[in-house]
Parts: sequence; C-alpha cells; structure tokens
Amino acid sequence: MSRRFLALHLTDLAMARIRRAEPELEEAPLATWEASGSRRLLVAVDAAAASRGLAPGQALADAQAIAPELLLRPADRDGDARALHGLALWARRYTPLAAIDPPQGLILDITGCDHLFGGEATLLADALARLQRAGLAVQGAVAGAAATAAALARSRADQPIAVSGIEAALAAPLPLGPALRLDAAELEALARLGLRRVRDLLDQPRGPLARRFGQALLDRLDAVTGRRPHAIQPVQPPPELAESLDLLEPLITRPAIDAALDRLLAGLCAKLRLAGLGARRLALLAWRVDGAVQEVAIGTGLPSRDPAHLRRLFAEGLGGLQPDLGFERMALEARATDRMETGAQTSLGLGARQDWAALAELLDRLGQRLRVQRVAPVASHWPERSVAALDPQAVPPPPPPGWSRPDQPLLRLRRPKPLEVVALLPDAPPASLRWQGMSQRVLRAEGPLRLEPEWWRAESRAERRDAYRVELPCGTRLLVCRGGASGWRLHGYLP
Amino acid sequence: MQPTPPPTQTPAYAPVSPAPDQPPLDQATVLAALRARVARLEGLGRARHGMDPVPVAEGIPLPGGGLARAAMHEVAAASPGAAAAFCAVLLARSGGTVLWIASGGSGKGGGEDLQAWPPGLARCGLSPANLVLVRAERWADALWAMEEALRCPAVTGALLAAEDAARLDLTATRRLQLAAETGGALGLLLRPDVPNPDPSAAATHWRVGPLPSGGGGHGLEDPRWQLELLRARGGRPGGPWAVTWRAASGALDLDEAEASAMEAPIREAPIRETSVVRTPAAEMRRARRGR
Repeated sequence: MSRRFLALHLTDLAMARIRRAEPELEEAPLATWEASGSRRLLVAVDAAAASRGLAPGQALADAQAIAPELLLRPADRDGDARALHGLALWARRYTPLAAIDPPQGLILDITGCDHLFGGEATLLADALARLQRAGLAVQGAVAGAAATAAALARSRADQPIAVSGIEAALAAPLPLGPALRLDAAELEALARLGLRRVRDLLDQPRGPLARRFGQALLDRLDAVTGRRPHAIQPVQPPPELAESLDLLEPLITRPAIDAALDRLLAGLCAKLRLAGLGARRLALLAWRVDGAVQEVAIGTGLPSRDPAHLRRLFAEGLGGLQPDLGFERMALEARATDRMETGAQTSLGLGARQDWAALAELLDRLGQRLRVQRVAPVASHWPERSVAALDPQAVPPPPPPGWSRPDQPLLRLRRPKPLEVVALLPDAPPASLRWQGMSQRVLRAEGPLRLEPEWWRAESRAERRDAYRVELPCGTRLLVCRGGASGWRLHGYLP
Repeated sequence: MQPTPPPTQTPAYAPVSPAPDQPPLDQATVLAALRARVARLEGLGRARHGMDPVPVAEGIPLPGGGLARAAMHEVAAASPGAAAAFCAVLLARSGGTVLWIASGGSGKGGGEDLQAWPPGLARCGLSPANLVLVRAERWADALWAMEEALRCPAVTGALLAAEDAARLDLTATRRLQLAAETGGALGLLLRPDVPNPDPSAAATHWRVGPLPSGGGGHGLEDPRWQLELLRARGGRPGGPWAVTWRAASGALDLDEAEASAMEAPIREAPIRETSVVRTPAAEMRRARRGR
C-alpha cells in the first residue's frame, strides 16, 4: 500500500504568534528583524508589509524609510520552533506520525487514518479550518510522498489532493524556490542558466548538474519527484496502544475529566488484555480548545492493566491539567508495555503472589509523589559508599560479608555537625565533649577506626578520618570522627 | 413439609457462661474470653488478622503478650539512637516488608537532617531485602504515605518518623489507627519526647531512652535502654524497665535487678498523676464541654 502524506505550510507563523500575544496591534504592517553581523535585517514580513514592497533580507533602515508606520519586533527563532513543535503535538489528533518540517511546515503521515475523518478531503479541510480559527494562515496539500506534499503546500494555495504515483508530473510546474527550498544565491545561479521551474531541472543531464550544484540539489529533486522517498521523523515515537475520545462539549470540570479517563482506561485495558500485555508507561493527552496539548504521564513498576490501579496513579497528575476553556479531545497512550503472564494466579490473586502485586501497586502510588527507594548493599569500607539507591521494585542483592559493621550508625547525619571535643593528646580518643549545651565526660570510647578514602576513585575528594564510638554518662552513644582539616564532627547516632 | 430449623447463630451479647453440661470455667479462662471480646469490640484487629503479636521482651506485661499488629504504637524518643533502634528491632520482628517513612529532613527548619542508615538498621535485624525507604518533604505527604502503607496487606510494618511531635494530633493518629486496622500491619510513630504530648489514638505509648551500659572495661558493651510504657489500651502502664539489647542474638533481655534499683534515670520524667491520664475519649469530652 502506498503511503499518503499531508503537508501543512504555516505561511506566517512568527507574525501570528506576535499578533496573538499582542492583540492591540490590529492591522498595522508588521515585520521581525535580527542582527546579522553589524547589519540589521528583516527576517519575516506579513502580507500588509509585503504589499508595501518589503521583503525578508532587506536592511532595517531601508524598510523603515519605505514604510514609516512599520511595526518591528525582534525575531524569536527558538520560540517559533517551540510553537511549531507544539503544533506537531496538536496534529497527533489526526495521526500518531506527525513530524515538523522546519521552519514553517508540518508533515503528517495519514496512511490509513483518513477514513476516521471521512476521507482525505474532509481531514484536510478540518485541519485547515481549525488552524485558521486559531488565527494561523495555512496552506495544505496531500500527496504520495512527503517532500512532494510539502512542496505543493508551499507553492500552491488551492489545497491540492493528488493521487499517488504522479509526483514527478505534480512537481514539474512548481517554481524552484519554494519547491526545493533553495537559498537566494543558488536560485540566482540557476536563474542565470534559465532554470526557473522543477521541470527545467528534470530536463537537464544529471551529471553536470551534480558537478556544478552539488549532490544536495539532486537529492532534493529526487525527493520532490518521488523517485527517492524519505521517511519522516515523528515528534514522538508512536505509542504501542492508544485509545482516544472526541468530545462534543469541551470538558472543564474535574469530575468530567475523571469520567473521560475512566472510559479511556476501560478501553485501553481491554486492548491490553487482548494483546496479553501490561502497561509500563502511560500518557494522558488532552487537546485544549485553543490548540494547546497537555500531557500527564505515569509509570508503573510492574506491567499492569488494572483500571482501578492506573486511575489512582493518574489522580495526582490530573490536578496539574489546566482546562481553561475546556478539552475537546482526550487520548490515552501506552508508550511502553511488557508481556504479562495470564492465567489463574494473577486474577485469583493467591497467596504470596497477591501480596507481591499489592506491594508493587503501593510502591507505584507512593512513587508518583515521593522519593521511594530500596537500598543495595555495596562492599565498600568507606561508610558513605556502602549503600546504593535502587529502584523500589528491584530486589536488593544479599549484603556482602562484614557489611553492617558495629561502627555504622543507625541514624546518620547527612551533613556531619562540628562538635567541641577535648582529647588529652592529639591522637588520643575523646575525653569529653560538649553535648546539648553541657560539657559531658566521655564514659567509654572505642576506636579509632582509621578510614582512608577510596583513592582509586578520581572523584573522591573526601579526607581521611578516625572514627570513635563514644558513650556519654547518660548512656547516649554517638559516632564522632576526627578529620584532618575539618576537626571533630558528629556523624551519627548509635543504638 | 419439614419445619425450618430455628436459627442457631448465637447473639452477639451471649453471656460467657459454660453450658450446663460442661465443667465450670475457671476465672482465668473467663477473663481471657472477656478480654478477647472487648478487643474485638474495640476493633484492635487481633482476632480478625489472626497473627501473633510482636513480642517485645520476656517479662514485660502487655495485653496479648506483645505489641498488637493492626494497631498504631507511639514511641517517644528520649534519645534518637536508642528509640530508633527499638523501633527497628520491632519492625524486624514483624517479619516482612517494612516501610521507613521520614518526613521533612531537609534540614531547613534547623533540624539535624537525620537519615535512617541501612547498615545500622541491618544490625537491628532489618535486612535491606525487606526495607523500603520513603522520604516526604511535606508532613501531609508523609501522613498520606503512612496511611497508604498501613492499608496495604503486603506490608507487615511501617514507621513514620516525625520531626515535630506537635503535628501528630488526635485526628491524624486516629486515621492511621483505622488504616492499620484495615491492613494488619504494625504501625510505629517515632517522635521526639516532649513534656505534654497531644492526645493520640495509638494503642500503646512508649518512652525509650538510653542507660549507661555495665561492664568496667573500656570497650562498648551491648547497649542498655530504659523502656517506659506510658499508656496501653486494654492494659496497664508500667515500667520503667531496663533492658539490654543483644545485637548478636537479636534479643531484648530484661535486667535482673529491676526498676527498683534504677541508678540514673536519663531525664526527669514529667510528673503525671494517674487520675488525669489524657485519653483520647476524655480529651474529646473535654473539648466538647468547652465548646
């Protein structure tokens, strides 16, 4: 089956963003500029400015002389790229394979998706209508190759829908500039040879063309004529399973969103069950009326397809959604799934297996909000390195021999606290220390345990220290250490 | 047509008296049966979950013979190390997965930023395989995590370490107690020792502090702690008891020369008359009268 691509060309995305942010500008001519070396050049102009004879690439001073009423804004290329990316996310309402075509285009792979919207013409009309309602000037085209569709969208304003297989004939009459996206210098060089349209290039022998203008030109030409189609890079990898819901009335309230999530979860979990899978990562996407797409993502430790459990995990994130005027479409995507063994045990939940699943669900719930971890014992003499954090669902390895030494504190201070200690000799154990505002005699002290930092680690900048376990007359036991430069510090409490 | 048999189930208020053809029960049996019924009415959950209580130490009289599962127990820490070790020993004895929930601890409030240290906990019998550490910045999150943990049937013990004792009010502890009754886990609240704590719905209240260890040598012997049972639901407060914790065998041994010859109590215990014990019920009544 041949693929079908829909291309959208947003003719003045930057201007639309500015007008949307500053509605008071009204119809005045508008242009953006940026500094290029010591010169200031126009980057983009809107239709009103273009009708006064302004064009991108013009010097700013010239433009202001030609049209004194011109409004100028600095160009924001990063912002435009972000807006385009946001539009690509929005376009995932039509197909999971939506790609950006910078600087101003979107390409959607609508193979097999069009019938959901009543055909390619309806889909294209719907996309154009929605974008125009949001204040964006847009041209669209559908064709059998991505580059051809993009070239048609850029060059023709009549929203063509072309059948597959005639890409070369479609591209032939298009002007070279928009069709192949060449820069001004290349265009001028080609125009000097009398080459102005794609058809002119197709008539030329390829060898001399490649020698003179480089292989890149031929690559673009082949892409546009469909001779060498290239794949698009979707903004997000397609989900493994998805479920979506189109809403007649926009959803605004939390109970309504909860109800929509319930329906999505029921559908997705049924699909997962049929496929014998469990979800590991899920994302809830919500399309707002104004075109913004919001996302709530969750993850589970074990694959799950229990709607009640997944709903609880979502409960935390739903509070972060901002419906404003309402969501008109919601979708639930399984971004990652795992095989799940089916059979009597999981559904009946017998014995230890049930406990295991209950614990995994508890850790999932806690993990959505808090820092939850298990600890892996590590064979290291340096106390700070004897513990490594593990994923809460992981099974810790057995402790190495000698791991829990008596000089390990029960409660450890993350930042050891300086302590006033009196020792009779520079290397002697502590004789008394200041504790809770009083000077206390040290009843017993055990040590020193001399700890050398792990010199084989490049990043280790800890200093050597002597650890003493001391007992005060009241019975309190402390772990105090003497470092070279840092002096005496309290490192933790012993039982 | 057969007549339907009369209902055979015994009413809940059936008196605990022997059937006429059985030998008369002795006093101890009657008392035990009555206690079991009171416990059931109070919803302590011992009967429902049918698991043995967690033993503390040989010789400490506790209702049921140990700390009831499916209930909250509060431990006031006269010293952080001893109380945390006591809690770790109890959690290890609960015999399954244990959650250690720390609240706050960012050190911003001038606290010490303490961290439960797994190698130390392992010496108390809590192996890393059974331990899950949870850290909550906000107090509300910590309470929520504790409640969720207690409700989970796969968790046998959960500890909530509170930096600030004042925030453990009656409502919070009551919620935790109800959660513990649902799940069946041993719930522990580790809080600093303050003179007049808020009333709480926990089943037992302990105060744990250190005692100087015996032995004349220079080395550190096994640590000794002073346990005080300040309040026990369905039991009698007691103590202080001096216990020695044997790290090698994991046992808590009650000292021979007992409480009478207690040499140096670690801090002045607040004087509390037995007549004004602040129970949750009394507290609520007082509050209602005040309103």
